[in-house]
Amino acid sequence: MFSFTKKQEVLQIGNISIGGQPGRVPTVLIGGLFFSGKPDFSDAKEDINKMISISENTGNPAICDFFIKKTEYIDDILSFISSTIPEKQPFSIDVTDPNVKVSVLSKLDEIGLLNQTIYNSIHVGITEGELDALKQHCPNTAILVAFNPKDTSPDGKIEVLETGAHVTKQGLFSIAKECNIKNILVDTAALAPGQNSGGSIAALPVIKEEYGLPTGCAIHNVVEKSTWLNNFSDAKGIVDVASNINIPLYGGDFAIFGSVKHANKVFPIIAWQDILISEYVDQYFGVKPSETHPRRMFY
Amino acid sequence: MKKNEIIKDNLYPWGGDFTTGNYQNNVALIALNINYIPHYDIAIYGKLKTENIGIEKIIANVISNPFIRFIIICGGDIRGHRSGTSLICLHKNGIDDNNRIIDAPGAIPYIENINKKAITRFQQQIEIIDLIDVVDEEVINESIKKLIDNKTESFGKPFIAIQMVKESKQSIDDTRALHSKIKINYLGKIEKRM
Repeated sequence: MFSFTKKQEVLQIGNISIGGQPGRVPTVLIGGLFFSGKPDFSDAKEDINKMISISENTGNPAICDFFIKKTEYIDDILSFISSTIPEKQPFSIDVTDPNVKVSVLSKLDEIGLLNQTIYNSIHVGITEGELDALKQHCPNTAILVAFNPKDTSPDGKIEVLETGAHVTKQGLFSIAKECNIKNILVDTAALAPGQNSGGSIAALPVIKEEYGLPTGCAIHNVVEKSTWLNNFSDAKGIVDVASNINIPLYGGDFAIFGSVKHANKVFPIIAWQDILISEYVDQYFGVKPSETHPRRMFY
Repeated sequence: MKKNEIIKDNLYPWGGDFTTGNYQNNVALIALNINYIPHYDIAIYGKLKTENIGIEKIIANVISNPFIRFIIICGGDIRGHRSGTSLICLHKNGIDDNNRIIDAPGAIPYIENINKKAITRFQQQIEIIDLIDVVDEEVINESIKKLIDNKTESFGKPFIAIQMVKESKQSIDDTRALHSKIKINYLGKIEKRM
C-alpha cells in the first residue's frame, strides 16, 4: 500500500475517473466480451447489465472490452455497442489483427463513437497502416502496452514507452502524441510464467512514480497460462479472480480481468482490496476516498 | 563428442511449461489450440502461445538437443498471435534487419533474445512438420511414428543459444526498495531514486 511522490493524474473518461494516488478513486475493472469464435449476442446484454449492476453496488467503475477478431464481425459488434453502451460510458475495443484495427477505427469514426473509445492497444507491433489510421481516426483514449520483447523488466517496459527499444522507430508515448490521443493508460504487459510474469506487477509502482499516469495490466492472463493449475480445477478459477488484487495492492489503477461473466466474483474482491488500501492511505497519507469509493459505499 | 555425452543440465536451458521425454528421440511437438499428449516417448512437447518470446524459447530448447530433428506443429493456431504460423515463417524466411520474422502474421513477431547464428542452426537442424489445424489425434500419432521410424542422426554438438543466469543484484542503500528506480520508506511512501 503506497503513496507516490510524483503527482498522479486522475483522468475523466466519460463518466469514469481513473488513476490518482492509491485509495483516491476505485480500481477500474475492464471485462471482456466475444473472445471465442463468432460473437454471441444472446447473453451479452444481460452479462453487461449484470456487470454494471455490480459496479453500481461496489462503486468500482466497469468498462466493457469488445474483442473483434475478424473484419466480418465489425458491423455487428459496433452496432451492438451503439445500441447497448450509454453515451457517457466509455468502452474499449480489443483487436489483434492490424488490418482489422484499421477497419474498426474507420468505422468507429463513421458512426461517431471515437469519443467513447478506449483503443486497446498500441504496442511495438504497430504497423504503418495502423499508425495512419490512428492519425486519421483518433480515439479519445488508448492503452499503451509496454511489452518489450528483449527486456521484460520494468526498465525494459519504460524503454519501450520512451524510445521503442529499437523495435519501433519511436517510443509509444511519442506515437500516442503524434496521433493526438488525449488520454493515455499504461498496460504493464503481463507475460507467461517463465517470462518474468511478476515484472508486470513490479512495474506498476515504477511507472506510476515515473509518469503519474493511470497504470494497470491483465494479470489474470498469467493464470490462464499457468497450465499446472489445470491439476487443481477447484482452485484455478479462484486464482484467476484473486490474481487481480495484485494490481491495486501495487498501486495500479485498472485491471483487465477477463470475461464479463467473472464480474460477480472480481468486483467484490477488488472492492474489498480497495477498502483495505483506503483505510491505510487515509490514515497515513491523508488520501480521502472519492464519493463512489467502495469504502464509502459500504461503510 | 560421443552421442550420449550431452550434458543433461543444458538440454533445455530456457525453463518453461513443457514436458520432456526420451532426449535421444528425434521429435519435438508443439500443441497449439489442442489438448494433446503424444502417445510416444518423444523428446519434448508443450504449448506455444506467443510469437516472440515463445518462439525464442522453442528455438533455444530445441537446438540445445541435437537429437531433435523434427518439430510437429499441430492444433489450431493461436488467435491474434498466430504463433504457429510465425514459427514456420521464421524457419522458412528468418528475420529482417529489425529482427522481425519475415512475413510472419503474428502481432509482434520479433526475435530479440536469440542471435542469427542460433536461427540458422535451427533452420539447419530442424525440419518442421506443419500440422496446423490438424486436431485428429490419429493423424498426429501416425506422423510421429513415421518420423521416429526415420532413425535420424544427431546433428552434432548442442548449441546453447541462451544461458539463463540469475540477475545480478543492484547495489542500493535502501533495503526496502521495490526496484532500482524507486525507493519506499517504512510507511509506503514511494519516491524516485535520484
